[in-house]
Amino acid sequence: MISIKNISKWYGSFQVLTDCSTEVKKGEVVVVCGPSGSGKSTIIKCVNALEPFQKGEITVDGISVGDPKTDLPKLRSRIGMVFQNFELFPHLSVTENLTLAQIKVLGRTPEAARDKALKLLDRVGLMAHKDKFPGQLSGGQQQRVAIARALSIDPIAMLFDEPTSALDPEMINEVLDVMVQLAQEGMTMMVVTHEMGFAKRVAHRVIFMDAGKIIEDCTKDDFFGTQRSERAQLFLSKILHH
Amino acid sequence: MNYNWEWSIYLAAEPGGTGIYIKYLVIGLGWTLATALAAWVIALAIGSVVGTLRTTPHKWVVRLGNAYVEIFRNVPLIVQMFLWFFVVPELLPKALGDWVKQMAPPWGSYLPAVMCLGLYTSVRIAEQVKSGIGSLSRGQGMAGTALGLTLGQNYRFVLLPQAFRIVLPPLTSEFMNVIKNSSVALTIGLLELTGRARAMQEFSFKVFEAFAAATVIYLLTNLVVVYGMRALEKKVRVPGLISASPTAGGH
Repeated sequence: MISIKNISKWYGSFQVLTDCSTEVKKGEVVVVCGPSGSGKSTIIKCVNALEPFQKGEITVDGISVGDPKTDLPKLRSRIGMVFQNFELFPHLSVTENLTLAQIKVLGRTPEAARDKALKLLDRVGLMAHKDKFPGQLSGGQQQRVAIARALSIDPIAMLFDEPTSALDPEMINEVLDVMVQLAQEGMTMMVVTHEMGFAKRVAHRVIFMDAGKIIEDCTKDDFFGTQRSERAQLFLSKILHH
Repeated sequence: MNYNWEWSIYLAAEPGGTGIYIKYLVIGLGWTLATALAAWVIALAIGSVVGTLRTTPHKWVVRLGNAYVEIFRNVPLIVQMFLWFFVVPELLPKALGDWVKQMAPPWGSYLPAVMCLGLYTSVRIAEQVKSGIGSLSRGQGMAGTALGLTLGQNYRFVLLPQAFRIVLPPLTSEFMNVIKNSSVALTIGLLELTGRARAMQEFSFKVFEAFAAATVIYLLTNLVVVYGMRALEKKVRVPGLISASPTAGGH
């Protein structure tokens, strides 16, 4: 579904990604972790071309992301993305946040878009807030709306960029619950997160990155078992024992 | 101060034969508003477009926008007024230039004044629109892009509705500025409010009364603008949104 081949990326002369390759199959949940500045958010943003890359190739469902002839808006409209800071549109109501792309990008009728939006809000448990504005919701609620918004375009895969990092601790679980449910339904997911509990529960594979390189790319059991690099062990010991 | 105010001067006939002085001044207010409003429409249209273009990822478009802004921002208003009145008609194709120069008063002054004020104000609006868009978090644009919105749709539905709400207060000041700046048009012969106050002073030698009236009329006009814009701000206010900060409601 998502294939990343030998990606390298530079900001000026600074190399942020070095020769990264991996693959996410249909229905697979892949967790990407690593210390800050390791390039994990950057690589996930390369997948839907929010960040350009200079070398290598990424294909999503067989379509090349780096090809200048690719219709990027169309490609992006098939991938859902959830951001660290939610990035709901503050001037639109919750329902309007969920209908905007359906109407303007997918060309659905306002009625059909609204039906879909309400179904998704019901699913993330926020039906009661459908007419509120994002600024009137808690962080956890906003992130659940953001997940619903990403789902509103019926994506073939979902990208999560540290979805719980900006949340107060008591709100993390309500967001993770929605993500776990999504994973169990068979959604293809690429998740940048430090939530190792989430990785243990639903991930098929774990990718560990450091300094712009993929250090480990293995099954969940291997990652949390013994066969891992010193660097990954050190990282895990730091985030698991506090 | 030892001055004998003569308030009844407003009711005296002005020598031009159009009626009493107060009517003469109110007609001046009419020209002030006609100039300012037309210039405001031009300024808002061009300023919004130029300000928006200067935030796009296209380098050459940004450079062109910057050049436009620097040209109109760095030359004094009164110099621009003279350029539009004396120089621009000479630069136009001959037939068009002659037509402009031969326009009956007050149109021969009105048109250059509107163009001048419109473009002069447009760069100030462009600056504000640009900084309004710039004040939004980068993630807002990314979120729109990630949903599949095109660049144009992203501006239309995500960025500009937020940016304009942010710049509404400074736009109020610009609107008042355009009304006040229209007084410079008297230098190219437009008999707007200030021009008429000056004429009244020359006809009647009542300088205090003439400019007292102009002062009060400008003040009242701008108060109307202030309250109008405040009502607009209230109307477009978004519940729960106090700033452009993305996590404002989170904690």
